[in-house]
Amino acid sequence: MVLDFNTLYSFPGRFDRMFEEFFKPQLADGRRMAYPPLNLSEDEGAYYVRSEVPGLPMEALELTLTDKSLVIKGERPTEQGKYFRQERPAGFFQRIVALNVPVDRDGVRATLVDGVLTVVLPKCEECKPRKISIEVA
Amino acid sequence: MTEQNAEQAAKAEAKSLPRVSPATDILEREDGFYVYMDIPGVRREDLKIDINENELQVTGRAMQGAAEKERFLEVQFGPGEYLRAVSLSDLVDREHIKATLKDGVLVVHLPRLEKAAPRRITIQSA
Repeated sequence: MVLDFNTLYSFPGRFDRMFEEFFKPQLADGRRMAYPPLNLSEDEGAYYVRSEVPGLPMEALELTLTDKSLVIKGERPTEQGKYFRQERPAGFFQRIVALNVPVDRDGVRATLVDGVLTVVLPKCEECKPRKISIEVA
Repeated sequence: MTEQNAEQAAKAEAKSLPRVSPATDILEREDGFYVYMDIPGVRREDLKIDINENELQVTGRAMQGAAEKERFLEVQFGPGEYLRAVSLSDLVDREHIKATLKDGVLVVHLPRLEKAAPRRITIQSA
């Protein structure tokens, strides 16, 4: 018997992948399917929004800061050629991060390194909790 | 001995990272095959590409460095080890495989082997 698997087709890998995907806990989370994935974090001075957007230069990304949200928009291009396998997502994407906190709008910075976008939203000075001394009249 | 320990520690660290199979496109153009892999967060020095026999193996580690004091509110991706093997066709010219990493996408170009020019074999009489 001759089994003619396409040489670019890894047969045993398929089963591994099936098991891996089955046991992957994050897939149970519906939000996992939202693209691109986002990480949100904060420290004392700022909020951080990180996102994996491989294959895009900074010019192809559109970041908009509105009153209450940060919008990340872009389009992933499709490569030309005869496809044997296509797993990478392509097309337009958009994610909206609701900002229910005041941020220093002029100090917002965005960097893109190795396909990971980092947006730093500094907390505004005036909004930090502070003590107000009450003087007794 | 210490070197060995360090190696083991590195191995243990690598094991603790979740293994991720990166999204991969494989396509063919006139000048050969192209493999595209999404490996965001992997620096060039953390990426390894090995060819053993009929397999091209890509391993890379994404650390996604975050400061200690950060508190995470939402996590949808994290540090991981990308691992993916692509089997190579016999048509591929192994000596001229080229790989480039840009904006978190690895592109491997697998050129086609130049076909050996047909030639006639002369028959020698004994």
